[in-house]
Amino acid sequence: MHEHEHDHDEHGHHHPRSASEAELRTRALEALLVEKGIVASDAIDAVIDHYVNDVGPQNGARVVARAWSDPAYRERLLADGTAAIAELGYGGEEGQTMVVVENTPDTHNVIVCTLCSCYPWPVLGLPPTWYKSPPYRARVVAEPRSVLREFDLELPAATEIRVWDSTAEVRYLVLPQRPAGSDDLSEDELAALVTRDSMIGTGVPRAPAAV
Amino acid sequence: MTDPLLTTLDLPRANGELVFEEPWQARALGLGVVAMRSLGIGAVEWRDALAAAIERHGHDPDEDPAAAYYTAWIDALDRLVATHGAAP
Repeated sequence: MHEHEHDHDEHGHHHPRSASEAELRTRALEALLVEKGIVASDAIDAVIDHYVNDVGPQNGARVVARAWSDPAYRERLLADGTAAIAELGYGGEEGQTMVVVENTPDTHNVIVCTLCSCYPWPVLGLPPTWYKSPPYRARVVAEPRSVLREFDLELPAATEIRVWDSTAEVRYLVLPQRPAGSDDLSEDELAALVTRDSMIGTGVPRAPAAV
Repeated sequence: MTDPLLTTLDLPRANGELVFEEPWQARALGLGVVAMRSLGIGAVEWRDALAAAIERHGHDPDEDPAAAYYTAWIDALDRLVATHGAAP
């Protein structure tokens, strides 16, 4: 299962046989449709931007903010992450299973994919480069505490660190602890506190005053 | 919000993330999404057209999967645009 997922990274020598022809055709079609008023180039830019950048951490942030605001949702989320995330309209086209792991004062969770770079795309968007790097993948399992320290995350010695190894079948999402002083915030305001790294486990949410 | 049209498609991905080997492929995706909306092309019609284009394109093991996919994608879009009365 993981073998073919490496294709993209390891077979960069594929020949884009008809790429230039298709590229010209794409340009010609765009020019035609713009001329006819059917598409606008900035609308295309917006779609591309959305797919490359926006379908990302803010989906996960909404999931986290809902869990912080709604105890019943939190329970559903921890019991069946895939279904609870789907309630908010997010899901994977690949049908992968989402498992949500909750940080508590005693336990801190971190996600990794030791084999390649499996990542909960529907809720977190594109993985950061370091997530795909061999040093992170190897070291976060062997020495999580020192890796987290490199992310400026210093955990109390008594906190247990659990590392969750993602696979093509199961993707994890960390439910971070709700920051102190956030009691009066709306769900939208809470979502703004949730960072991508806090949902990977290499960070914690922003403090309310920092927003 | 994920575009409902695109969630039904099997876009080239590696570990869930969209794969573009060259910038024109992202351009083709964006152009297709916007054109489908403007022309009222539905998900089923698009899927059928894309499947036919993929079949016409054939399979070359040396060709990059994303290049093959978006080559078929633009072929399908070109034909749909023609049938929807937007041809030159």
